[in-house]
Amino acid sequence: MPLLSRLSSFLRRLANRATQDSDLDDEIRFHVEMLAQEQIREGVAPREAYRTARLKFGGSDQVKERVREARVGAWFDTLLQDIRFALRMLRKSPGFTAVAVLTLALGIGANTTMFSVVNSVLLRPLPYPQPDRLVQFELRMGGGTADALSVPQFQFFRDHNSAFEAVAGTRGGTDVELKQGNSIQWVSSEEVTDDFFRTFGVSPATGREFVREETLPTGPPVAILTDGIWRSAFQADPQIIGRQIEIDDQGYTVVGILPRGFRVVDGSPEIFMALHLGNALGDRGMNTEVLGRLKKNESLRAAQANMDVVYEEFHRQDSARQGDRSVQLMGYQDYLVGDIKPSLLMLFGAVGLLLLVACANVASLLLARSNARQKEISIRLALGARRIRLLQQFLTEDLVLAFIGGAAGLLTASWGLTILIGSIPFYLPSNVSIKVDASVLAFTLFIAIATSVAFGLASFWQTSRLDLNSSLKESAKGSGSVSQNFTGRALVVCEVAVSVALLIGAGLLIESLYHLREQNLGFDPQNVFTMTTPFLPPKNAPHEAVWNSQQEILRRVQALPGVVSAAVVTVPPLMGRYNLPTQREGHPEQGIGGMEIRTISQDYFRTMDIPILQGRGFSDIDSAGSAPTVLISENLARLWWNGASAIGDHVAIGMLGGKLYTKTAEVREIVGVVGNVKGRSMGAPAPPMIYIPVSQVAADSTSPPPGWVIRTAKNVNIATALREAVAQVNPEQRVVLSAPLQHFVNMSVAGPNFDAQLMGLFAALALGVTAVGIYGVLSFHVSQRTHEIGIRMALGATPHDVLRLVVGRGMILVGIGIGIGIIAALASTRLFEALLFQVRPTDFATYAGVAITLTCVAFFASYIPARRAMRVDPMVALRYE
Amino acid sequence: MGKDQLQGALELLILKVLALEPLHGYGIAQRIHQVSREALRVEEGSLYPALHRMEDEGWIASSWAESENSRRAKFYRLTRAGRKQFATESKRWAQTSIAIARALEAS
Repeated sequence: MPLLSRLSSFLRRLANRATQDSDLDDEIRFHVEMLAQEQIREGVAPREAYRTARLKFGGSDQVKERVREARVGAWFDTLLQDIRFALRMLRKSPGFTAVAVLTLALGIGANTTMFSVVNSVLLRPLPYPQPDRLVQFELRMGGGTADALSVPQFQFFRDHNSAFEAVAGTRGGTDVELKQGNSIQWVSSEEVTDDFFRTFGVSPATGREFVREETLPTGPPVAILTDGIWRSAFQADPQIIGRQIEIDDQGYTVVGILPRGFRVVDGSPEIFMALHLGNALGDRGMNTEVLGRLKKNESLRAAQANMDVVYEEFHRQDSARQGDRSVQLMGYQDYLVGDIKPSLLMLFGAVGLLLLVACANVASLLLARSNARQKEISIRLALGARRIRLLQQFLTEDLVLAFIGGAAGLLTASWGLTILIGSIPFYLPSNVSIKVDASVLAFTLFIAIATSVAFGLASFWQTSRLDLNSSLKESAKGSGSVSQNFTGRALVVCEVAVSVALLIGAGLLIESLYHLREQNLGFDPQNVFTMTTPFLPPKNAPHEAVWNSQQEILRRVQALPGVVSAAVVTVPPLMGRYNLPTQREGHPEQGIGGMEIRTISQDYFRTMDIPILQGRGFSDIDSAGSAPTVLISENLARLWWNGASAIGDHVAIGMLGGKLYTKTAEVREIVGVVGNVKGRSMGAPAPPMIYIPVSQVAADSTSPPPGWVIRTAKNVNIATALREAVAQVNPEQRVVLSAPLQHFVNMSVAGPNFDAQLMGLFAALALGVTAVGIYGVLSFHVSQRTHEIGIRMALGATPHDVLRLVVGRGMILVGIGIGIGIIAALASTRLFEALLFQVRPTDFATYAGVAITLTCVAFFASYIPARRAMRVDPMVALRYE
Repeated sequence: MGKDQLQGALELLILKVLALEPLHGYGIAQRIHQVSREALRVEEGSLYPALHRMEDEGWIASSWAESENSRRAKFYRLTRAGRKQFATESKRWAQTSIAIARALEAS
């Protein structure tokens, strides 16, 4: 009941806000009048009576204020009043407001943007039951890790571990042709083993999963459909189970349909086919990705220990010892975001520092401003305002400012996010949709409130220490309290330090990018165009037929205007990998498990501008009937022949450590040595590589579809002409991934490029904000010391002395800040060492460059207020008193 | 005695005074002065905040009416909730003061 009456009182007060105060005035006037009447009755003169009455009543404004405070919902009135006051104050100094809001908008906006990305990519769990139990298997080798295993490894691990509930292998992600009557549709597919869906924690909604027998080399062709493709392509036909569908001209029996909403985030395949685990070359190579679901209550660490033991066992049984290796388990989510995580975390950290600079700047602006309002505050305190009331008002002012900044920040974020998403060069798992959602809003709100409370307390801290008398006595030029100047200076030092750290980070990343771009690719990507032509079904077409049609395409392409030369290659540089176990013939001790193999046509080296260092290239004499030949890369020649000539010696492809991995090893004679070429990534050293002439190779369904490289004259766009040439030879042949090779070169530095650009942007923003901060503090300093400067000049100081005084003060702060920043950078840049390429985190040039840049910027920021100080007219300054 | 209890005492006095007849603020101050045999003097700085707070609590209500000297004045009167509040508070006050008195006498 009391609550109800309080509520109705609150509403009544709210409704009668206008009349309330005049009512109170009347009430008080009546009271004073009655007091006066009392006096008059006692014979006091009316004038004197009213004076005494008013005195007796006490300050009527104080009484009114206390009445207002006593009312229900007083806080609401106060709040409105404070907000109105705050808005008035902000309007009164538009320059201050603009700089503060802009700074906050940048800081909060940048943070909200980065948090949106981090939240979507790293924090949101995968859409599977107990996603933390999903684990990806990786193979750690001497030079790095591979995310795919060989079939024997997979089978051994699956059958001998004790840590996993289920282990499954997958391969593919290729598009297949789904034929229904006359209509043809291209659908993404994946080959998976039994237990694949159990690993993900789901089972088909209808039908069943694949069984072990279906993954044998002789297993029947069977398929499982996603709910999506079942509805779109088969009209949700419930009779589909057990029926045949036509994929790549082959009949597959549908055995299951997955539950609605389930998808494999890595590539989003729509049709799953049983993976046949055989003995083909591709099965022996490391081409099968392996996933596992941990047993309940099994930790990743315990599973890793188990796998270490299992791998040792495998290693013992494996006659082909493949050097120093181990299996590494990785959380599936970590695996999916592995490329992005370090750079996202680094950028998130950087953007947090940017916010710190922004806050320090706004705080120092507020500090300067509240100093200018010291007199106002003193007067209000003297008139009886309570400190708590002032604190309330300051907090409201800062809250209003922070909320305007926050709103502007949110706008900046939604705008920044569209740009950022467009430019994220990483592969994002397909469950990731980056948007400004509730948690992001909460995050922004939190930053806004936290910053405003921080400012509020900072500015209140000094007003609460105010000594009334001395500050009232001091005139407007007042030199400000010592503590306050100290706080302002400390903030500038802090801003400079953080900017230095950010600039150093940006500098190191930019330098890495430069080194990466300067990498010797081993080929010339300029004016080279690439495309890929997927195999036409049936997959096992005789090699001659494929090669004949390729030769026909090559002839036509070479005849195109503007084309210099053209060639076929299994995997063009930077576009992937294809490897097989290989050893030096007769030397079981010299072998490489994942030897990169490229099948090429004879003009490949000319087209790519790869030098032939020894021996000869391929020519027409390397035909299907002639002796099998290879070319090897220079680093392989050095590795296995160590200075001696490799020409005339032999390699055995498909053999490792003397053990056969295929029915028969392909023993080939080395006829030449060519320059090293980058493999899949620009950051890794060029891998040893073997080239086989396409004219001599037997088709293998597991080898990747043929790629093409075409060198043209300058500024020739042949994309359309290429497609036409292919279509003329075979109208059914698809062309995918046709783009200039330079595009792939750019793509492979896209990650570092993105890091460097964003980091550069953040650092530049921090630098700008810091410059404003230095300018603000020194301007304030100059305006406070106008009087003192006037005296100095009257006593004979030259403008030059004044300049030195002001700039010198600024530069001391900057010097301290740079020192602290460098120490902070030394301590922290090691954290993102992994993102650096050929740059040490303690790179001297970067540190020196940053120090010089910051000194220059700081000099100009302090020069402007110093100029103002120089122009002080001593007469005016002294008369100012 | 704490601030709350002083405030409680003032409110109790106001309720007591208004229980007799509706009065304006000046009148309440006068009446308290009188009934306490001029021992208590209510400060205006405390009186008006208390009146407004009590009105918000719903114990008293106010209306504008003509005063004894034909001026417009704001008269406060007790509501039903106010009467109830007066009954409980005066009882509590009596108990408290007896208890304190006893405590002071015992030694």
